[in-house]
Parts: sequence; structure tokens; C-alpha cells
Amino acid sequence: MNKMFVVMKREYLQAVRKKVFIIMTLLFPFLMAGLMILPGLMMAKGMGKKRIAVLDGTGQLQQAFINREETEEAVDPKQEARKAIEGGGRRRLPSQFTIEYVNEAGKDIDKDSAAYMQRLTRDKEAPDKLEGVFVIPAKAMDDTKTTLSYYSRAATDFITQERLGRITNRELQRIRLAANGVQPDLVENLLQDLSVDAVQLSRTGEKKTGGELNFIVAFILGALLIIPSFIYGQETMRGIVQEKTDRVVEVLVSSVTPMELLSGKILGIAAVGLTQITVWLTMMGLAGAYGAAVATMADINLRQFVRPSVFAYFALFFLLAYLTYVCVYAIAGAICNSDKEAQQFIAPIMMLMMAPWFLMMPIIMNPDAPFAVAFSLAPVFGPITMFVRTSVTEPPLWHILVSVAVSIATIVAFAWVTAKIFRIGILSYGKRPTLPELMKWIRVA
Amino acid sequence: MAEILAVRDVRKTFGDVRAVDGVSFTVRRGTITGLLGRNGAGKTTTIRMITGIFLPDSGDIQWLGDKVGGGGYRDHIGYLPEERGLYKQMKVVEMLLFLAEIKGRRGSDIRPRIDRWLERFELTDKRDAKVEELSKGNQQKVQLIGTLLHDPDLIILDEPQSGLDPVNMVIVRQLLHDLRNEGKTILLSTHMMAEAEKMADEIVLIHSGQVVLKGTLDEVRGSFGKNTVHLEFDGDGAFLRELPNVARASILNSSAELSLTEGADPQRVLEACMPRVRVRRFELATPSLEQIFIAKVGTETLSHEVTQ
Repeated sequence: MNKMFVVMKREYLQAVRKKVFIIMTLLFPFLMAGLMILPGLMMAKGMGKKRIAVLDGTGQLQQAFINREETEEAVDPKQEARKAIEGGGRRRLPSQFTIEYVNEAGKDIDKDSAAYMQRLTRDKEAPDKLEGVFVIPAKAMDDTKTTLSYYSRAATDFITQERLGRITNRELQRIRLAANGVQPDLVENLLQDLSVDAVQLSRTGEKKTGGELNFIVAFILGALLIIPSFIYGQETMRGIVQEKTDRVVEVLVSSVTPMELLSGKILGIAAVGLTQITVWLTMMGLAGAYGAAVATMADINLRQFVRPSVFAYFALFFLLAYLTYVCVYAIAGAICNSDKEAQQFIAPIMMLMMAPWFLMMPIIMNPDAPFAVAFSLAPVFGPITMFVRTSVTEPPLWHILVSVAVSIATIVAFAWVTAKIFRIGILSYGKRPTLPELMKWIRVA
Repeated sequence: MAEILAVRDVRKTFGDVRAVDGVSFTVRRGTITGLLGRNGAGKTTTIRMITGIFLPDSGDIQWLGDKVGGGGYRDHIGYLPEERGLYKQMKVVEMLLFLAEIKGRRGSDIRPRIDRWLERFELTDKRDAKVEELSKGNQQKVQLIGTLLHDPDLIILDEPQSGLDPVNMVIVRQLLHDLRNEGKTILLSTHMMAEAEKMADEIVLIHSGQVVLKGTLDEVRGSFGKNTVHLEFDGDGAFLRELPNVARASILNSSAELSLTEGADPQRVLEACMPRVRVRRFELATPSLEQIFIAKVGTETLSHEVTQ
């Protein structure tokens, strides 16, 4: 045990003193935050102002496309923040659109639109550059089979397209209703959509809302759980290969048992991972505290998104996930002779082990679906899936216990096999063993 | 002198290859024992079983008279493997500290010893350098210090001479003698017979996984009798190999070592030489280890006990 500690200490100190580690630890949260927030921001902002020509064949929809700044009364910022966080949708024209409204009633819309479409291809700096042309045919008012068209240089800006469509449809509905005798000032009320609140009901009957943020929290923590497991698994594998190529390993195993060496390594690198995650969680906590201050101002109860128990589950399932994956990486390290070879060997296995990562979305959305339950109780996939489930819902206790038991059994089995292969593998240079040879190693060692 | 280590009939098979096939020998305290044999004879496998890296398939290893399965006594052993290797990224002093700590020593006890050893090997200025910044020779020295740092009772060196330049070879040879004189026990393997002859008190000759010869250097040589002729001459010595009384001859430019056939009269050999070359030296001697090695491995493979 004492020697295992010596190995562990060396692994830990060598790793945390590296510049790469320090930089990665401090920078990663910002990278992550950037990666998560930036696309969202870009989506919301639509990559800056957009100048769009609306060609209205009906000639009656001008009201809907009047730019917001000109008409908007002051909005309550508190109300706005709440809506943004809880996912309340906007019904008005977004402020980043600059609309060029063209009344095409009674004109040849096909002929006129050609000129506007010309302007789509102009240089970005050109004063009359258009980002989009939205065409509403004349028959839109009466014919329910009419299609509206949105022309742009890239046909993938579905958010803009969706927004323009929604604005147009709402205005058409209003006019049609008014035409059928509904009083114009009643129309807005009659058409009002009701918003849906996601309420999570706990077993004790406690209710909490805010599903959308909960989703993001589960996603971030899931990523925080799985990514370090893979990074540090990889690190363990490289360390073992390195010891072989540097020929240190023979001195090591003449002083410590392979089991002491293996466990010292695994725990040393686990400690590195935990150090890093602790730093990250602290940084997240600080950001969270700031967020909480903002949230309190906006009357949002943060406790409804993050339960403290989530962190206990996080620590538990991180260890289970890490120990499961690291054994697989250790085997790869023990039987391969170079980094490159080990990478090739591990790549397909890693893809398989990453399955829960690719399935994170559906699991978060359907945490109690049969496939999610099956994954959470299965070996290897269990820790990450179960953690995600515990963070978005309350799985039955027996699910959690079975998952933990299966994981521990898996780890024990993996560690046993790993130790056997490790014992022979670390001293065998040359050709990588075939599967039958590996089975033999397991039997004889 | 007491036995410190006894290897009893150990066997190790890898697949179809019998690497070690019933090897037995003892190492006595305060001696240098040379484990000799060609590459692939089974020396390294034998050593790996002694150091506990491999478990023998059968047979056992006794440490101070007690049977141990594998390396239960590893902390008392200092091992320099043939495959040298250190963590390249570590500082010399950290590396040495680590090597002593995995032998169960405390850092605070070891630090003064590190400084003494670095001084002895003239590496004091490299103390805080990274291992990878050192020359190959210096890395070898660091590894040797790592082998000795925890003050082991038994020092096991696998091919200690390989990769050393002549100057360092002399330094290592001197060091081993000093250690032996301090009462340490040394087991070294080598395929260089001339080196073994200069260093070892006792030899164990291994061939194809079996011991073919063992005993003290004097006993081994003595058992072959004075049937060897050392000859120095001027002229072409090629004919020496064809002489009727000569079993084997190794001939250099102007000297030769001749192994005579059983019962041959050296006088006849001298007579045969005199008309062909100018003899400057003619000496009856015990055979060199090189000759013994060739004689044993070349002609027979059965174990030949020399010790009484």
C-alpha cells in the first residue's frame, strides 16, 4: 500500500506541475463556456443585423413589418429576463431585422422580385445589400395552399425564415378573422397563445419549474463527467506506453508489484482529474454565484434548477465512470508499443464507450424511457447515463443501487483482467498480442 | 561463507520456448557471482525470476534460507536491468528519490546518500537537471546510483558493461570490487567472458536454459587442467590449427591460445612450431574462460558439477 502511494504521488506531482495541465485547468471553463454560449448568442442575434426585403403581394400586411424601435413601448427588463431564461417566446418583430417593405398589390411580383434578388449577391459593404428576400404571393389571403418563399444566399437560416413566417401568418389570421366579422380589437386576445411551464414533480410532491435550464445544467455536468474520464484515461494509456518505450517499467516491477503499479497510476491520475474538476466546479460556482445574484434580481429561484444532491451523485458517478474507462485504456497501454498503435487500438472501443455521450439529448429528454433505463443499468454505459437521469428526474432508488452495483462489479472484473494483462503486457515488446494470446495471458498470469 | 540466495531447479516456459529449464545455483555473501552465457541462453529470464518480475513455473528461490515465491525480499535487492530506462522528464534528484522510495526507503534518509553518490560519480552539477538532458553515459551512471542508493544486500546487474565506454567500464569494475570488499554480494550477468574473468569470484555458465558449469573461477579453471598453451611468435601461425595434438586454437596476429587434446605432450607441439615460426613465448597455463566456454558449449550440454 505504501509503495502504491509512492507511485501515486509521482504520477500526481508530475502531472499537475506540467504547464499544459495548468493552462488547461484555467482555460477550459472559458473554452467550454464559449462553445456553449457563443452559438446560442449567434443564433439569438442572427449574426448581427439583417436587412430583408418583404415583397407583399396582398398589400395588406404592412402593419406587421413595421420596425420595432419605432413602435415599441418600454418593456420591463425583469419580465424580459424571465422570459429569456424560461423560454417564453417573442411574438414581435425581432429588433435586428431591418425590413424594406414593398407593396406589390396588383403588380407583377415575379418580375419585381428579380431586382431584389439581384441585391442578395452584392458585396457585404454595398449600401443596398440585402440578406434576405421574403415573398408573399397575392393569393396568400384567400388560398390556404399558398407557399411563402424566403430567398437568401444560404438556405439554412431557418430561424429567420421561421420568424418571418410566424409574423406573416399571425397578421393573415388577424385580417381573415376581421374580414369574417370579428371585432379587430378582440382579435389579438382571441389569438393569444398560452405558454407552457415545465413543472417537475418530485416524489415528495415538491414542484419545480425551469426545465430548460435544468436541461443545460444536466448537459454541462454530463460533459464534465465524461470528458475528464476520457482525457485522463488517455493520459493513463500514454503513461504506460511511455514507461515501456522509456524502458522504465522493468525497474518498476522489480520494486513494486504490477498491481501496486497499476493502482498507484490509476489513483494518481484520478487525483489529477479530481483536482482539475474541483477547480472547474469552483469556477463554475463563482460564475453561478454571480448568476444567482442576477437571478435573484429577476425573481428566479436557482435552487429549482440545481439540487445539491446532484453534486454528490456527480462525485460518485465520476469515480465509477473514470475507473471503468481507465481500465480499458490501461489494457490498451499494456499491450501496445507506441502511442500511435495504442490510439488506433483504442479508437473503435472509445467510439463504443462514448455511446451515452451521443445519446445524451434523447436521454435528457426521456430520462425514464426504456432505452434510457437500460443504458443506465448496463455496465460501462451505466455511470454517465445514470448520472444524467438523476440530475433531470428522480429514478427509483433501486435503479441507482443496481447501476452502482453493476458498475462496481464491472470495475472489479476489468481491474482483474487489466492486472493480469498488465503483468505480462508491460514487459513484452514487439508484436501486439492477438485475442487468443490475450486470453492465454489472462489464464496464465 | 553463508548463502544469501539459492535458486533451486527453477523452470520457465514461454509458449513453446523453454527459456529456463531446471536452473540451480547459489550465491554466497560477499562474493561476485557471474552468470555467463550467450545471448538467449536464459540469463535475463533467470534474473527476472530472482527479482520477482516473473514467477517460476516450478522450482523455488530461497532468500537467506527461506523460500520466497516471487520478490518478497525485493527491498533488499538492487537491480540494474539490461533494458536501462529512467523517466526522461524527471529531475535527476527526483528520479533517484523515487527509485529509493519504491524500495521502501524514506526520502529524508536518502537525500544525503544521493548527494554522496552524485559526488562519487561526478554528477553533482547535474543534480537538478532533467534526465533527458544528460548524456547517455551519465544516464547510465544515474541508473547505477538508483540501483545502489537504497543500500541493498544483493546487487543484481544484467549486462552491466553493455553500452559503456572503456573508461566507464574500468570505473564500474572498480566500483563492484569496492562494493564486494565492503561486504556486498553481487550477481552479474554477461556474455563477455574476458570481463567475467576480471570480475567474478564464482561463475555459473548457462546454455539453452540449463547450467552447464559452475564453481569458483579457480575451481573451474583447475578442473580443465594445464592443457592450454599460450604462444607468442613471429610468422604465419595458420598451421597451428592443423597440428595433431591441438583440439582447438584461437589464433591472433602473433599470438595463440591452443587447447591440447587429452594426454597430449606439449613438448611435441613446441617441436612442431620451431621449424615454422620464431617462438618468443611458450607457456603452459590453465585455459581462459573463453576457451572453457567454447569447450563446454561447443561439445557437450550436460551439467558438469565442478564443486565438491
